[in-house]
Order: sequence, then structure tokens, then C-alpha cells
Amino acid sequence: MQLRTDRALAPLFAALAIGVAASLAHDARAVGDPVKVGFIGSFASDTGRSTLRGAEIAIEELNAAGGVLGGRMIELVSADTREDVTEGIKAYEYLNESENVDFIVSGSIDDVSLGWFPRMAEYRTPTLDTWTSYIGLIDMVGEEYEKYKMYFMNIACDYALGTLYVDFGKDVLGKQMGWKSTVILQEDTAFGGGVQEFIAEIMEAEAGIKVLDTIVYDTQTVDFAPIYNKAVALEPDFMYLISSVNSQVPSSQYVKLQVPVAMTGINVAALGLDFWNDTGGAGGGISTLSPIPAVGMELDDSSKVFAEKYRAKYGDERPVFPHFNGFNAYHGVKNAFAAAERAGGFAPLDDWVREMENTDVKLYKDGEFWHRYAYFKPGEIEPRTGREFVHNIKFDLTPPYDDGAPSMVVIQWYTDGTAKVVYPPKYASGEFSIPPWLQ
Amino acid sequence: MPLARPLLGWLAFAVVMCLVPVFVSTGTVRILVFANFLAIFAMSWDVISGRTGYISFGHPFLIGIAGYTTAMLTYHLDTPLWLSIPAGVFATLVGGTLFLLPALRIRGTYFALVTLAFMELMYQLTQVIAPKVTGGTRGLSGIPTIVSGAIPNYYLTFGLVFAIGLGLWFVLRTRIGAALAALRMDEGAVAASGLSTIRLKLFAFMTSAAVAGIGGAFYVHYLGSIAPRGLFDINFLFTILVAALLGGSSTVAGPILGAYFLTFLLEYLRPYLPGPERYVIYGMIALVVYVLEPRGLHAILRTGARRLAPLLARRRIAP
Repeated sequence: MQLRTDRALAPLFAALAIGVAASLAHDARAVGDPVKVGFIGSFASDTGRSTLRGAEIAIEELNAAGGVLGGRMIELVSADTREDVTEGIKAYEYLNESENVDFIVSGSIDDVSLGWFPRMAEYRTPTLDTWTSYIGLIDMVGEEYEKYKMYFMNIACDYALGTLYVDFGKDVLGKQMGWKSTVILQEDTAFGGGVQEFIAEIMEAEAGIKVLDTIVYDTQTVDFAPIYNKAVALEPDFMYLISSVNSQVPSSQYVKLQVPVAMTGINVAALGLDFWNDTGGAGGGISTLSPIPAVGMELDDSSKVFAEKYRAKYGDERPVFPHFNGFNAYHGVKNAFAAAERAGGFAPLDDWVREMENTDVKLYKDGEFWHRYAYFKPGEIEPRTGREFVHNIKFDLTPPYDDGAPSMVVIQWYTDGTAKVVYPPKYASGEFSIPPWLQ
Repeated sequence: MPLARPLLGWLAFAVVMCLVPVFVSTGTVRILVFANFLAIFAMSWDVISGRTGYISFGHPFLIGIAGYTTAMLTYHLDTPLWLSIPAGVFATLVGGTLFLLPALRIRGTYFALVTLAFMELMYQLTQVIAPKVTGGTRGLSGIPTIVSGAIPNYYLTFGLVFAIGLGLWFVLRTRIGAALAALRMDEGAVAASGLSTIRLKLFAFMTSAAVAGIGGAFYVHYLGSIAPRGLFDINFLFTILVAALLGGSSTVAGPILGAYFLTFLLEYLRPYLPGPERYVIYGMIALVVYVLEPRGLHAILRTGARRLAPLLARRRIAP
């Protein structure tokens, strides 16, 4: 009996010995010369892969041009978050503690970025986000600048997206279509909840469109008929979908069921060219807000070259065309390294942050100003909203959008499988339309 | 002297673990911090489910109560941690009482499903009730941490694992532990022997809740953030269950062992299989281990040690 209790802890020691041995072997990996860039995001999502591939192509170009910071090659290390908050924290720790990266490019969703945000402040690693748009992160940078100044958001924050979307609501949904009421169909995610709060708050006040109800649905929902029936029973002029996960399901069912109410909103699946195949060719009539550069949007000369390289490199592997964050990762990585060249590296952090704040890359389409990669500085007030957006990509919320690109565009999918931008007018190449069965 | 040798074992375990940061990188130390938290959660789950046989699918509910309580108190009211953490643990004890109520009437699959409902209920409540206080679907970020850096957090969390592990080992090797095991085998027989099954269950549930509460409160102050999708999540629940079962349930060392094994397996596969493939490998290994020895790694290693001991002894005797 004594022998048995004595041996009770033996397994722990054995496991510990194996663990320590493995650790020593693991830690013995040589630290090389290359500059290390970490990618953090979901490997399984189109948006995550878009960021990863955008960063890959930028790094290939920089390496092919002779390297960076005195001819050093760049090495990309990836860490999967599985769109899970805790996995995101572990991934951020792994990139910093085990891989000692110099810079991180993120394709994380909102709550995952929120999860690793305190770690970023602890490691003080320069980080560029390309997918999260949560204004709370930008506000934290503004409120505690010293703590979070290493963070840059390379996509207009949700507040800016929403503000311009309200213009679309006023100009197109209200004036052009004459719609006065809506029902919000919101997915049960952090992103969905955040956008719903914002839209519900300002849609009526700003665009005169009354929100009759909000229907929250689970992201695993496979049958949307009861949800659509409930929404239709409220007799709204249109439905506003907020969907970032499995968005092709509500989209294709909307078309197949020929729901007798128009629908627009935020539909992440519709942000990629794969949408058409995902819906089995049943995506016509769907429109969505999209950060830029969007699918269906005419591209500036530089982004056009990137898109061609992307298609040549990845062929039919999905996503077959980069989502907006693929472009933002490509340009963002290049801009981050340009800032590092000017600052003499990513450290000291203050020097890199200063140079990143001084970034001002203007992109042109056939000689016309089209897009801009610059960042709001501390104390800089955005004129329309009258508030700060410290380290958010510079956007312009007022036509003719000559101080920065607009925060978003609205894309319309047509029944022939094409997608075009329908708002704002400067970037529009098509007309907003409702599905054929409603016309 | 029956206590002396196992206590020496615990002491040696503590000494070795205290020396680990000297020999490994901070990256490995960070992995150990997560392993320590998982060990606490797995030990907590094992007190209810491994010992009494009441399978809990709602453990994230208990962990989340403590986490949210202390997170909200510190985030909104600047409550000091020495007050907010005990408040979180106390709130979990209240939650543990709620857990106990269905166990007075049902068990087996029904009890498991009711506890799963607790987790789902908590997930919804954090988003619906006062989202400005709970942070709604996005949760709260920027929650104060107790200490910063890998090594201080390692010693803090290992201290918790050690104290909880040793405490549970002491308690569960008494007659209470035997009575709880009897409860798992035949509740009716325990009642017939004159023991109060309600008191025994109350003890197990409160102990489990207290451990989950301590783990949950410290976990949130380690992460520095809290989100409903990260806590009240089926994957989080499965990780706890697998750690306890893979390591060896109804033991104290088993859940610790399972937690370390699971965390290290996934993290060491990361550089070679950065994508979801490593979860396939992890699933396969867990399956093989469980099929080979349902009592888990703890039993496998004990059997191995038992077979090895005579061989080593023979070699020592041989001239």
C-alpha cells in the first residue's frame, strides 16, 4: 500500500522529465539573421487567408528586391487563432516568446484582437491589424497612447464604416428607394453585437429609418425560413443583415426562398469572389457594405499589380481573389517596413511609431487620386465626426473623398454573377438594385 | 509514517517545478502558465465528475462566474484585486449551489444536460443583461493583471496548482474521498449506510466550485481580457474534460498530468503544423491513449514504472 502511494507522483516526474527534455530541444533552435514577421489570424477563414497571402506577397517582393534593413531577408512565421480568443492569446505569446518576431500583421476578428491586445502592450511589439475594425481598440490607443502606441489599424474602424453607411442609408435607401423601416438580422457574435448597437442607434436618428426589431440568430443556423418569416411578418421596407460567419447560408436561402422583402447590410461572404460559387449561383440581388479595396471595385495601379500576382500565385485556391484585408496586409507590411527603414528598424519603438505616423502613401488610378495609406496622429481631429481616431487608417467621410479614401463602399451582386460598387458615387460602377422577384 | 514518502514526492515535485524556468525559455514558461490553469480547471472538474460520477458539462459556467465578477469589479469600480478575487470565488460558490440543486433529483445524462444548459444560459446572460457592464459580445479588455511577465505568472500559477493539488490530495485521501468514490459506484448503498448523500454532494460541489472560482478569477487577471465566446465555449469545456480524462480521472495527479500533456502537445506541434492539422493529431493521440488505457496517462505511467522497478532492482543486485 505504501509502495502504491509512493509511486502516485512518479508519473508526474516522468512527464516533467519528458517535458523539460522536449523544451530544451525546442529552445535550442538557432536564432537566425532574418527579420521575423508574425502573422496572427485564422487559417480556416477566407479573410484570415487573405491577410496571410497579402503579407506573403509583400515579403516576397521585399526579399526579391534585396531584403530590408541593410539586406536582411524577411521570414514569415504564422500562428493560427482558429477565431478563438484564448487561442489568439496563445498565438500572440508564441510569436513573441518562441519566435521573437519583430513585427506582427494580424487578420484577427474583433474579440480575438481584444484578447491579445493586453499582450501586445506587454511585449511592445509593433502590430498592424487588417481585419478588426472595432473602434474600442482605437479609443484605447487614444486614451492610453504610451501603452498602446505600437498598434495600427489598417482598415477604417466600425464607427467610420457606419457613418458613411448612414449616408448610403439617407441617399439610397431613404431618398432613392423611399424606405422608412427595417428589421435587423444579427448573427450572435461580437462583431454582430457591436454593429447592431451602432446601426440601431443611428439609423433612425441620422437616416430616418426606423428599426422595428432585431432578430439574433446563431451562426450555425442552417434553416433561415423561420427567421425570414418572422422578419417579413413585421412588414419592414427592407431587412438589414449583419453576418460575418457562414454568410453564404442566409444569402443563398434568401434568394432560393424569394423572400418578399429587400435585404442589404453587412455580408462578409459577399466580400469575396468565391461568394457566387458558395451560393450555387444564387447570390444575385445581395448587396453589402465593404471596407476598401472591395471586390468589384476598380483598383489603383499598385493594387491592380498585387491582385494579378495574387491570382497568378494562388490560382483557384480559395479565396480566389483577395478580400479587402489582403490588400491592406500587402500595403501595410510594405509601409511598416518603409517606416522601419526610415527609423533604422522596428526598435526603438518610438522611432518606428513616429515614422509609421508619418506614413503617407497615395495611390492613383489612371492618374486620379484613389486610395491613401496614412494614419491619424494623436490629437488629430477628424472633421466630420469631431473625434480622434489615433492610429486608424486615414479615411475621408465627405465627398469628394480627397483627404483619404472613403471608409467603405457598398457592393451589389447581380444575377449574372458580377459584383459592382454602387456607393459612394465617385467609386460607383453599377446601380443599387433589388432582387428580380421584387422588381 | 504513511504520509512521509508521498509528501516528499510533493515536495520534490515543487522543487523540480520551481527550477524549470532556469532551464527553459520564456516561451515554454508561457505554455506552462496555460498548462497550470488547465490543471486547476481539470482538478476542479474531477472533484465533481471524476469522484462522484456526476458528469458536469457546465464547468465553464463556474469558471466564468468568478472571472466575470472580478473582471467587472476591477474594470468598472477599480476594486482592488485582494477584494475582487475573493468576491469572484464567493460568487462561484453561490453558482455551485445552483449546480447542486438538479443533482438532488437527477443524475447521469440528465444532470450533464442541465449543467450544459447552465453554461449556455450564462453565455446568453452576459450578452443580454447589462452589456455595458459585461462588455456584451466583445467582453472586456484591459483588465488589470496581478503580475506581469512569464516567470512571475508561472510561479503564481504553479503555486496555485501546488496548493490546490496538495489540498485536494489531503482531503480526498480521507474517508470523505472514499465516501465520494462510493457515491459514484452506488449512491443508494451510501445512503443505506447512514451517510448523508446530500452533504457529501454539497461538499464535492462546493470544493469543485471553489477551485473553479479560484482558477477562473486568476485566469482572467492573467489574460487581461474576458469574452463570452472565449469562456462559455464548448471547445473550452472539451479541453477541460479531455485533460482530466486523458490524464486519469479520480486522481489528483492525473488531471495535472493530462493538462501538461495536452497543452505541450498542442504547443509543440505549432511550429510544424501551424494550422488546424495539429488538432487532428491531438485527437488521434487522445483516442489511442484512451482506447489503450481508459484510466489515462497516469495509469500508463504507473504501470510502466511498476514493470521497470523489478528490472532496475535486478540490475542493481547483479554483480
